[in-house]
Amino acid sequence: MSGVLLLVKIGWRNLWRNPRGTLLTALALGLGLALLLVSLGLLDGLHEKMVSDGVRFGTGHVVIQAKGYQDTGSQDLLLPAQVVSTTAEFLHTEPMKRLVRGVSPRLLASGLLSSAANAAGVGIIGIMPKEERAVSLIPSRIVEGKNLTDDEQSGVVIGAELARKLEVKVGSKVVLMTQAVQQPDREATDPGEGGMQSTLLRVSGIFRTGVQAVDAHVVHLLLPVAQTLLGVPGRVTQIAVLLEREGDSLMVARDLRKQLAGVAVEVLPWRESMPRLVQIFRLDQAFNYVMNGVVLAMVGLGILNTILMRVLERRYEFGLCKALGLRPLQLAVMIIGESLALTTISLALGLALGSIVHYYIATFGLDLHWLFKGGAPSAFVFDPIIYSRLSLSRIVSSVSIVFLTTTVISFYPAFKAARTELPDALKVF
Amino acid sequence: MEEQVAIGKPTAEHGVEGDVETWAVELKEARKTYRTGPIEIPALRGVSLRIAPGEFLAIAGPSGSGKTTLLNIIGGLDRADDGEVWVEGKNLQLLTSGELAHMRLERLGFVFQAYNLLPVLTAMENAEFTLLLQGVPVERRRERVQKLFLEIGLAGLENRRPAELSGGQQQRVAVARAMVTEPVLILADEPTANLDSATALSLLDVMEKLNRDHGTTFVFSTHDPQVMERSRRWIRLRDGQIASDAAHASHILPP
Repeated sequence: MSGVLLLVKIGWRNLWRNPRGTLLTALALGLGLALLLVSLGLLDGLHEKMVSDGVRFGTGHVVIQAKGYQDTGSQDLLLPAQVVSTTAEFLHTEPMKRLVRGVSPRLLASGLLSSAANAAGVGIIGIMPKEERAVSLIPSRIVEGKNLTDDEQSGVVIGAELARKLEVKVGSKVVLMTQAVQQPDREATDPGEGGMQSTLLRVSGIFRTGVQAVDAHVVHLLLPVAQTLLGVPGRVTQIAVLLEREGDSLMVARDLRKQLAGVAVEVLPWRESMPRLVQIFRLDQAFNYVMNGVVLAMVGLGILNTILMRVLERRYEFGLCKALGLRPLQLAVMIIGESLALTTISLALGLALGSIVHYYIATFGLDLHWLFKGGAPSAFVFDPIIYSRLSLSRIVSSVSIVFLTTTVISFYPAFKAARTELPDALKVF
Repeated sequence: MEEQVAIGKPTAEHGVEGDVETWAVELKEARKTYRTGPIEIPALRGVSLRIAPGEFLAIAGPSGSGKTTLLNIIGGLDRADDGEVWVEGKNLQLLTSGELAHMRLERLGFVFQAYNLLPVLTAMENAEFTLLLQGVPVERRRERVQKLFLEIGLAGLENRRPAELSGGQQQRVAVARAMVTEPVLILADEPTANLDSATALSLLDVMEKLNRDHGTTFVFSTHDPQVMERSRRWIRLRDGQIASDAAHASHILPP
């Protein structure tokens, strides 16, 4: 054991024969780790933001909708009448109550919104204003006028792009036309059923999210008004549930499924109801892994270069050690020990640097407005200020990967040192 | 004046006639050729010699005569292409590289021309390096090294690094390291080459004393007349062969 300790001691002291060189190398390698940590923190922060903004624009953390709606999007598919009350009751009991932030029933349909100047295809969302404000981000993005209130039967809230296209402002009149819902379990005896319906509305508010598709397409009106227009009193397309923590999505979806067992509904956590968002994550992850692989390769090559140079410069010293009786394996252990010592110093520096940058971005955010010229960066992120999020497991895995990589890489110079040929290595001149 | 003897034949003054186990070193027609691409350079051309335990001998010769090659082969740092090489009754040609390393650690000591010491270790740590590799406990290591340091005039310098020692002091530490394992044979390749004459003489005094007091065999490869003067036997090499092998006149025993 004392022989191993001596070799470790020699390896450690060898690092400090040239302190400036060692520190510079450690700094360069540490920067690689810091870069890795910062990029992972930004990626996780961006994804967290995409989830938090995306679910608040979309279907919430968990959505309950008629079976088959996810695949078809047909406005004829509605939730059975009792589901709304059953769901609301269940989500107001313990322990669900503590997990849920908001529950919003919605009626969704396609339609045509016309003004005196123009007309545009729109996505109609019938909402209950108070419930919708607890779930969706749109009500918080009103730039002109106000949100819908329960007594505003003829009010409609539209996006800024749509307002521009229709050349309307707050107070303007618009006509909303849509096709009434065909009920599969009834004969079409009602003359309005399945036919075109229209209603006159007044613009009560204009919102701007920065997402083109939303601002040019989405209209909010009161749920009862939408139900009357579509001929489906008391019915909704979906119930969007927003949770306090994204991590509870799967559990809440599972419990809701149990509660609604036997009813023809689909209960989907956001990863299933918003597959496009998941695809974006996967693409981001893949790209990030490639970038991190490049950084790792650079770090590894840096270590390899440094240790290899040290080995080649000390050929005589290794020859001397072997002449005195040091075994090749012991020599290899010495080199690997030196490499691990250098890696440890580099990791410590990298962690320190990465933590400082992460702390700054986690606290003050990274403002990317300049990149997106005032618009939103994607359909899922409204606000291009990204906050870094770095979990302990990410830090541990990053440090472990760098450590393992450099350990493996150091085997080559160690092997080279171990194969130092006597007596050539002992030639002074 | 030196007594001339027949080339390659040991005499009673040099050692006891007998089988290989009685000799510290015995070579029989050892040959070594170095190859650099198509060029072959014969370094040793059939060298035979015997070295008795306790000898203090110098191998001299011009550059390229094969001195270092001979020392390397005796020390197991290199292998002869042909012939036999026996050290302490072991045929080095039959040992694996691991066994050679073990033999170097346990039975031999080395002092090189320069850069003998590991620069990151102190004088004490350098001297005890081989004892550490042998697994000797720390108290015994320290005791042996300190005793040797006292004997060869290094007391008080234990914690200095090589850069803080003079050339002569560094060579003494190398001698201490070579001696500390109580080897039967110390091979010194031009140990005084980088020293001034006073320091070289002082180093020779140390090695001669160790040879006398401990009976350790010393074999030098050297150009240094001072080393040759102190040696009790000279082996001259020329072009990879022994040109002469004689006892120093002052060391010839009276009949």
